[in-house]
Amino acid sequence: MRAIVIEDDRHINEQIVGRLKQEGFAVDSADNGSDGLFLIQEYPADVAIVDLGLPQMSGLEVIRKVRADGSKLPILILTARGNWQDKVEGLDAGADDYLVKPFHQEEMMARIRVLIRRAAGWSDASLSCGPIRLDPSSQRVSLNGVEVELTAYEYKVIEYLMMHAGEVVSKSVLTEHLYDEDGDRDSNVIEVFIRRLRQKLDPANDLNPIETLRGRGYRFTLPPARAAS
Amino acid sequence: MRSIKSRLLLTSLLVLVVFMLLTAFVLEQAVEKRMLKAEEDKLGALMYSILAAVDRDATGLSITVSDARLFEHALFDPNSSLRALLYSERGEIWRSISTSNSYPRPPNLADEELRFSQLKHEDAHWFQLAFSIRWPNVHERLDRYHLVLWKNAREYSDQLKRFRQTLWVWLSVTIGLLMLLMWLVMSWGLRPLRAIGDEVKAIENGHKDSFDADYPGEIKPLTQNLNRLLQRERHQMQRYRHALDDLAHSLKTPLAVLRGLTEKSAWQDEDLKTLIEQNERMNQIVSYQLKKAATVGGELMARPVNLSALLTKTVNALRKVYQHRGLHIDLDAGDDLQLRMDESDLLEVLGNLIDNACKYGSRQVRIRLMSGEGQINMVIEDDGDGLTASQVNSILTRGLRFDQSREGQGIGLAVVKEIVDAYEIDLTFERSSRLGGLQVMLGFSNV
Repeated sequence: MRAIVIEDDRHINEQIVGRLKQEGFAVDSADNGSDGLFLIQEYPADVAIVDLGLPQMSGLEVIRKVRADGSKLPILILTARGNWQDKVEGLDAGADDYLVKPFHQEEMMARIRVLIRRAAGWSDASLSCGPIRLDPSSQRVSLNGVEVELTAYEYKVIEYLMMHAGEVVSKSVLTEHLYDEDGDRDSNVIEVFIRRLRQKLDPANDLNPIETLRGRGYRFTLPPARAAS
Repeated sequence: MRSIKSRLLLTSLLVLVVFMLLTAFVLEQAVEKRMLKAEEDKLGALMYSILAAVDRDATGLSITVSDARLFEHALFDPNSSLRALLYSERGEIWRSISTSNSYPRPPNLADEELRFSQLKHEDAHWFQLAFSIRWPNVHERLDRYHLVLWKNAREYSDQLKRFRQTLWVWLSVTIGLLMLLMWLVMSWGLRPLRAIGDEVKAIENGHKDSFDADYPGEIKPLTQNLNRLLQRERHQMQRYRHALDDLAHSLKTPLAVLRGLTEKSAWQDEDLKTLIEQNERMNQIVSYQLKKAATVGGELMARPVNLSALLTKTVNALRKVYQHRGLHIDLDAGDDLQLRMDESDLLEVLGNLIDNACKYGSRQVRIRLMSGEGQINMVIEDDGDGLTASQVNSILTRGLRFDQSREGQGIGLAVVKEIVDAYEIDLTFERSSRLGGLQVMLGFSNV
C-alpha cells in the first residue's frame, strides 16, 4: 500500500510517516499544499492523509483539486481546530473521513484501513477469498484457518492483489505500491514474491489464486466473499 | 403617540382648527354687523318714504298717512314682514294695512331722534325703527308724533344662518384639504426615516449588508456611523475567531506531537500513564475552552442561515464517515428553513448531536425538521444504547468535569449546551419511543 502524507508540522509529519512505514506502507510526504497536490497527481496511492491548515495551498483546496481531477483516492483529513464547520466542509469538499488533533496513532491506522478497504469495495474488517483470509490490522494471512508465514513484502503483495481481486495489476503498479519514491525498484523481485506466495497459499497446486497474464501483470482469481452491503 | 408623523399631524390639526375658529368668529361678527346696518338703512329709507306720505288730516288738528301716497307694497300686505304705526301723544292715530295685531308703543324719543333696536315680540324677533317728529297743527303749534316701523327679522335670521352654514362647510373643506396636504408633505419629508427602518429590517434579515449611501444630510451621519459600527463588529468577530483558530492550532499541534511521543514504548509504564492522562486533560481543556470562547451567541443583526441546507450537508458528511458501519440515516430536512444564527455555531450543534446519534446508534438514525408557529423543531433519534436521557441530562446540569470525562465524551455535549444557552434554544433529551435509543429535541425560536 502506498500512502501520501501532507502535513506541515515536521514532528507530526515524521510521526505519521514513521507509523505508516512501520505498518508496511510505502510513504511519500510533503509539508505544503502544492507539493502535496503534485505528489497525489503524479504518484498512484491508496490513501492520502491531508492536514487542513497547510501553507501555500489549504488542505480544502488540495482535496477539491484532487476530486476535480476525478480521482477517487481515499482522503483522511487532519484538523487542529476540531470544529464541525471544518469537518463538514472537508467532507463536503471530498474527504472521506476526519481526525481531530491530537489523535491516537492506533485510531489513525484504524481509519486508514477502513478507508482503503472501503475504496476496494470491502466492508468487512478482514478480506476473505475462498479459503484464503487476510486481516489487514494484524497483517496475518490464513489458508483454511491455518496461519501462513509471510515476509513483509510477500504480505504487501498479497494484500494489494486481494484488495483488487478480479482486476489486472501490472508489475509496475505493484512495484509503485510496494516501495517508497526512492526505494529499490527491481521488478524481477516481484516475480520471486509471486512464486513464493503461490507455493505458500496453494501448496496442492489446485487453487491457482494468482494468475499471470503475460505482458500485462497478475490477477487474483478467487471471488471475494463480500458482505451483503 | 408612537409615530412622529401622527404627532406632527395632530399638532398641525390643532393649530389649523384654532386658526379656523378664530377666522370664523371674526368673519361672522363682521358679516352680522354689516347685515344689521343694511337692515337699518333699509328701514330708514322706508321711514322717509312714509314721511313723504304724511299730511294733515281732515280736522287739521292732527296728521295722518295717506295710503294713496304709499308705494311700499309690503305695507298693504298683512302677510308681509313690515308693520308701520303712527302715534300722537294721545295714542295711535294710524297703522298700515299690513299691521293687524297690537304692538307696544315705543318709549318717547327726543325730537328728531331716529332709534334702531331689536326686540322680542310675540315669540318673534323684530327690528324696530322709531322716529320722533314735530308737525305744526292749524294753530301753528308743533305737536309731537312717533312713527314706528316693525320688521320681522325672520328673513335676516335665515340669511345669517345660510351664511353660517356656507362658512362652516367651506372651512371644513379647507381644513380637510390642508390636512391632506400636510399628510402628503410629512410622508415625503419623513420618508428617509421609514427607509432607515426598512433597511434595518433588511439587514436583520440578511438581505443587505449595510445602509445605502443615499440619505438626506440630516440623517446621513447616522447611517454612516451605523454602517461603520456594523462593519467593525463583523471585522472584530472575524479577527477574534481567527485569533482563536491560531491559538487552537498552535496549542494542539504540540499536543499532537506529545501524544505521538507517548506512543513510543521507551517510557516507564507509570510515567507513561501520567503523561498520557495529563496530555489528554490538556487537550480537552484546550478544546472545550476554545470552542466555548468561539461561540458567537446572539450576534447583533446575525444573518440568517439555511438550516435545511446545512443539516443536509452535515448529514451527508456523516453518512460518509459512518458508511462502513452500514448505518442508515433517515433525514427529512424540510424546505429551505431559515434560522438567524452564526453558521459555525449551528454546525457545531448539528455536528455534535448527529455524530453522537451515529456513534451510539446501532443501525438507524432518524432526523426530522419541522416548522410551525414561529418556531423550528428538530428531532434526532437513534436506536442505540449509549448514553441514556437521564445520563445526558445529568451531564448537562452538573456541567463538565474534565477529570471525570474520558475520550472526548461529553465535550461535544458541553459545547452544544454553551451554544444552545447563548441562543436560548430549547434542548431536551428523552427516550425515543420509535427507535428505542436517545431522542434529542431542539426548539429554535430564532427563526
